[in-house]
Amino acid sequence: MKRFKYLLSGILSCVVGLSTVYAQNPDISGYVRNYTGMLTTGSNDFSIVQNTLNLDITGSKGNIAFKANPYVYQYFDKDLDWGIREAYLDLYVGNFDVRVGKQQIIWGKADGAFITDIVSPKDLSEFLLPDFEEIRMGVNAVKLDYYLKNNTFEFVWIPVFTETKLPDEKSIWFPQLQSQGIPVTFDHSNSEVDAKLENSELFLKYSLLSSAIDFELMAGYMWDDDFSAHNTPQVDSITNTMTGILIKPEYHRLGVAGGSFSTSLGGTILRGEAAYYMDKHFSTSDFINEGLVKKDYVHYLLGYDFSLFDITMSVQLIQEYIIDYTDQIINEEFENTATFLANKSFLRETLSLDLFAYIGLNNGDALIRPKATYSISDGLEILAGANLFIGDQGRFGQYDKNDMVFIKLKYSF
Amino acid sequence: MPLILILIFCSGIFSLNYIEKSEITIAKIMCIQNDLTSIISQKNNVPNTKTFTKNKKINIMKKVKFATFLLLFAIAGTEISAQSLTAQKIIENVYYRPTGADGTSELSMHLIDSRNNERIRQIKQFSKDFGKEEKSIMFFMSPADVKNTSFMNWSYDDASKDDDQWIYLPALKKTKRISSDSKDDSFMGSDFTYDDLGDRHPNEDNHKLLREETIDGKQCFVIESTPKDGDYMYSKTITWVIKDIWIGIKKEFYDEDADLLKVLTVKKYEKIKDYWVISNTEMKNIQDDHTTKMVLSNIQVDIGIDDNKFTERTMTRGL
Repeated sequence: MKRFKYLLSGILSCVVGLSTVYAQNPDISGYVRNYTGMLTTGSNDFSIVQNTLNLDITGSKGNIAFKANPYVYQYFDKDLDWGIREAYLDLYVGNFDVRVGKQQIIWGKADGAFITDIVSPKDLSEFLLPDFEEIRMGVNAVKLDYYLKNNTFEFVWIPVFTETKLPDEKSIWFPQLQSQGIPVTFDHSNSEVDAKLENSELFLKYSLLSSAIDFELMAGYMWDDDFSAHNTPQVDSITNTMTGILIKPEYHRLGVAGGSFSTSLGGTILRGEAAYYMDKHFSTSDFINEGLVKKDYVHYLLGYDFSLFDITMSVQLIQEYIIDYTDQIINEEFENTATFLANKSFLRETLSLDLFAYIGLNNGDALIRPKATYSISDGLEILAGANLFIGDQGRFGQYDKNDMVFIKLKYSF
Repeated sequence: MPLILILIFCSGIFSLNYIEKSEITIAKIMCIQNDLTSIISQKNNVPNTKTFTKNKKINIMKKVKFATFLLLFAIAGTEISAQSLTAQKIIENVYYRPTGADGTSELSMHLIDSRNNERIRQIKQFSKDFGKEEKSIMFFMSPADVKNTSFMNWSYDDASKDDDQWIYLPALKKTKRISSDSKDDSFMGSDFTYDDLGDRHPNEDNHKLLREETIDGKQCFVIESTPKDGDYMYSKTITWVIKDIWIGIKKEFYDEDADLLKVLTVKKYEKIKDYWVISNTEMKNIQDDHTTKMVLSNIQVDIGIDDNKFTERTMTRGL
């Protein structure tokens, strides 16, 4: 509660301070939401009961603007979770835009696949189920954009590395750990990247928006947002048998280059995105080099958006390919996935029915998410849906016991 | 002994909710787009420069005039003798109107159901004629869940070329190209269909002058228009066109069974610079007992909007 008071005090100070600076009232919008989910397998436990306050505070004067996005999550079984998702200043100077501060930076043409969209890390503490803006974490960065008609040149400097946020070990979303019954211990002594200049991340992007095609070209010298598990066997010196595995999570440098495009095709949209990752670390099934090997890796996607019988649909085919593959690598050489989305509105667009399906083609697993959203009045909506995990292994099948139904009540203002 | 230590996770792979929310919101906004683009674009119509054989389905240039009714600009004081006018000519006079080179306005749309429950949508819009192409951009101000969403449309004189459309969703922080699809259903839950808001060319219907009549003190031609395409959503429409200024002040829409479906009424029109602007209209669905009111405010025409207004930079920065 004390932290909550500090937060409110901070928000208030921010609002009052900025409004004084700008001599005009900042614009405050946001939402309040209740999100209740129940597992349908086992004992019908509530998987989540969450109340959210999310604020967007913005203001501008002349060629200066600002935004602050504080949030608070309240749970029945956890402490308050609060923070500032974004807090930045914008300076508009001629053809240049400069944004300084904590910000979400989103790239690419794919929907949901993080291929070239790798500047902002992800909050995976509740798997991939929260809304998009809640999954992407803000990073402290300086972003410089130069505009030449419909061409944009973008440079991003991230002085301090931020890693992917993983679920708590007790969470139902904590990833499956397969160690054949051998005890595992973690050593986090090397799991931090020091905040110093040489550990900065740099990104460049050129993008064009034109009648014929939109495309982006990008490159990055970054840290892999996901840690690599350095595994060391622990052996009983007397019996010479393995007694456990010591895992040291570490983050490694990564070079990435890629691009994306989007174009119209007779009333439909064709999209594509690809990235080449240099020296990405992959886990192996032995302890040579601490169970890791560096390989180049390609990740690409083709997407198609269309309408059929007044139903909006979207299909994406995605492939990941490890170049110069060896059998010791735990990941498969090719990982194939597909997504499918269908949406239709009724009752003067106050009722929306949606079906999203994600299919892991390698493991035959899937996540199916039907939902219905009804707008009770302007700004107030109720949403009922389900998350159905199919299969027993793979990225989605591992959560087969986490099938759930949920209701969200959201008021936007 | 082979050991397998697998940490299976999706980090770096997908965000499902991203896909879902993005597409759904886009689908929702697309409905808003197509129609409002029409509203914005109409100001920039230049008579006699458009080929009337444009593809009806996807060409927003076909939508830019509300022909005889909605929020349109009309020539003031066109001198044509009533005696020499045919029904076809009257409708063409409404269709071909000079408008400003650019313009901006705020649109407020009120959706009122049979129990007087009201929903309001508000939009700020800009448009400019670049000669062979016309560009428009709009920013959604309310309801709150679509606030700061922006949409840009480029339409072309070339009849074979589809419109290009993009949407910027602030929650996704990404500008996304969308298809310029067109539907016959209502948009934003209103009583207007895409086609109602569209630029229906006079040659798509057979027109008959029924009579001359005074409505609200204005001398009007009453024109019955029957579609040449038998599959059209309306069996006929009847339009009251004010003489001399060529504004359709009232229009009735009849369904496929020839029953009265909707009535459009112009509540207010005003002269801004050299253009007549209809700034307040009402569409009432008789069969559903549902009404939509559209009000334009802060209308400005020929103000010299910068070419760079119609770029991704503006979409992402917002108003």
